[in-house]
Amino acid sequence: MGRTVRNVFVAGCVAFWLIPLYLLIVNALTPATGYTGEPDWTPQGFAIFDNIKTAWSDAGIGDSFLSSALYAVVCGAAAVLVAAMAAFAVVVLPIPKPAFWFWLIYSGTLFPLQMFLAPLFGMYADGNLYDTRLGLMLVYVAWAVPFAFFLVRNQMTTMPPEVTEAAMLDGASFLRIFWRIHVPLMAPTLGAAFIFQFTAVWNDLILGITLSRSPDVQPVMAALSTLSNAYASSGPPVILAGALIVSLPTLLVFLVFRGLFLRGVTATARS
Amino acid sequence: MTDMVTTAKPVRTRRRIPTRTPHQAVHHASVAGRRGGPLASLTWALPALLFVGVLLVYPFFRSVYGSFFEDNGFTSRFTGLDNYTRLAEDPVFGRSLLNTVMWVAGTLLLPVVAGLAIAVATFRMRLGWLAQLVIVLPYAISGAATAVLWKFMLTSDGAVNEVLRAIGLDGLATSWLLEWPQNTISMIIASTWQAAGLNVVLFTIGLRAIPREITEAAELDGATGWRMFRHITLPQLRAMTVVVVGMAIVNSLKAFDMIWILTQGGPSRSSETLALTMYRETFRLFHVGYGSAIALVLSVIVVASSWVYLRRQMPEATGSQ
Repeated sequence: MGRTVRNVFVAGCVAFWLIPLYLLIVNALTPATGYTGEPDWTPQGFAIFDNIKTAWSDAGIGDSFLSSALYAVVCGAAAVLVAAMAAFAVVVLPIPKPAFWFWLIYSGTLFPLQMFLAPLFGMYADGNLYDTRLGLMLVYVAWAVPFAFFLVRNQMTTMPPEVTEAAMLDGASFLRIFWRIHVPLMAPTLGAAFIFQFTAVWNDLILGITLSRSPDVQPVMAALSTLSNAYASSGPPVILAGALIVSLPTLLVFLVFRGLFLRGVTATARS
Repeated sequence: MTDMVTTAKPVRTRRRIPTRTPHQAVHHASVAGRRGGPLASLTWALPALLFVGVLLVYPFFRSVYGSFFEDNGFTSRFTGLDNYTRLAEDPVFGRSLLNTVMWVAGTLLLPVVAGLAIAVATFRMRLGWLAQLVIVLPYAISGAATAVLWKFMLTSDGAVNEVLRAIGLDGLATSWLLEWPQNTISMIIASTWQAAGLNVVLFTIGLRAIPREITEAAELDGATGWRMFRHITLPQLRAMTVVVVGMAIVNSLKAFDMIWILTQGGPSRSSETLALTMYRETFRLFHVGYGSAIALVLSVIVVASSWVYLRRQMPEATGSQ
């Protein structure tokens, strides 16, 4: 009896999880003009490329897609580098009061973003950074640093200190020790942190809608939100095609780097 | 997923946050000359400190300070604790607080319990990994895209109502997003669809860590099914449960993207949570000081609820402060 119940339960869950995904694909296939106002349950054509094209150019997802690609790659990489240097300082270098610096940087991830938004908006308006790519990139790096720092620091404390000591005895400078020993040995963790922050920046909505407005600056989730609010005028097939295309990069990253990706999350859970 | 960044918590290591030994370079005078002293070391952390200090820490204190002012974006006037006393009388804030509590309770009830059930059911099951992959897949989709998809499911002529009408349950078909409390509840279900997969993965890691001998010994003693789960599996998963519950609480407190796209907190602000109320007050109604007060209340709740969990995760670190 137990086995049957279990199989039915799992099958039910899989169905609950698959049906929305199925509807997403099927309705993104429907030609925009052929949509009846009610969701389709069977494919009604193969207009997915037309729908994606409409979302991409007419609804401005395309511009934002490219902007977000820039933000996610550059800010993810910059944040990981900055975080790795800070972790190196806190774990390896003779810095005074390392615990204080650790908490100062780490505290950035503790609070909800709402706590920073209003002053950031004011600062950006005063500093002419509002609605600029540079402004968004700066805040994305700052937002991504604390957690990347946390991941890298935790991994760095598990490295045997003898490695550093031996290199120091051989007369290597800290710069050399960092690039030749810590960075190569920490490569998987740095990769995990990058993938994690890439995804976080790509998926950001709230910073995007708060600190930018024009279509060529807005990140992709903000553009999707705008498209979704124009529900009636665009029609569901185009909107769903938009949702599909903005999800592709993170889905691909997830499927290809599943191990590294989950490592970022689960690093916290192994004790 | 973005929420995860800010909520995943420290690894429990036996090492303390390094003070000087054993990790830190010993600071010999001769070495210091060539490699630089403490100040030179600080330059390594400088970029991180600049980014975090200017764009996160300073705005944080600016928000705290701003919450004592009545500020419409152009003029501001010191009003002391007025913003906080106004909170107590504001019915919108009351509803928002209630919705936030619903989100926390609903997230504990649905994604956590469902995640545990699915993890246990698919563990060592044939094709169980495939079921897990399907369920974890939405976790790779952003909150915004998930919300767009579920808007399509939940609108009045959406897929959910279509199904209900097709199977003859016309009475149950309702405007899911237009009335409280079903708008909050349906959004919690939508976020379950997205977030439960992560909990499945975490609980599966926990299940794999249970020593074979323990389950075998219990089997020899005749424990099966529910008894096995209740007396062996569940206690063994305790550590992981703390992690999952901690993350779930903090993530549900920070939920924004999903609600913003599905209802924008409406209709007539009935589905707002604290995160939404802060955003609307600050950036739509230009009650900047009032919004900052809400942000501070939300922050206090977030930090307080993760405190127990943080302390467990980093006992030495908090002790050495």
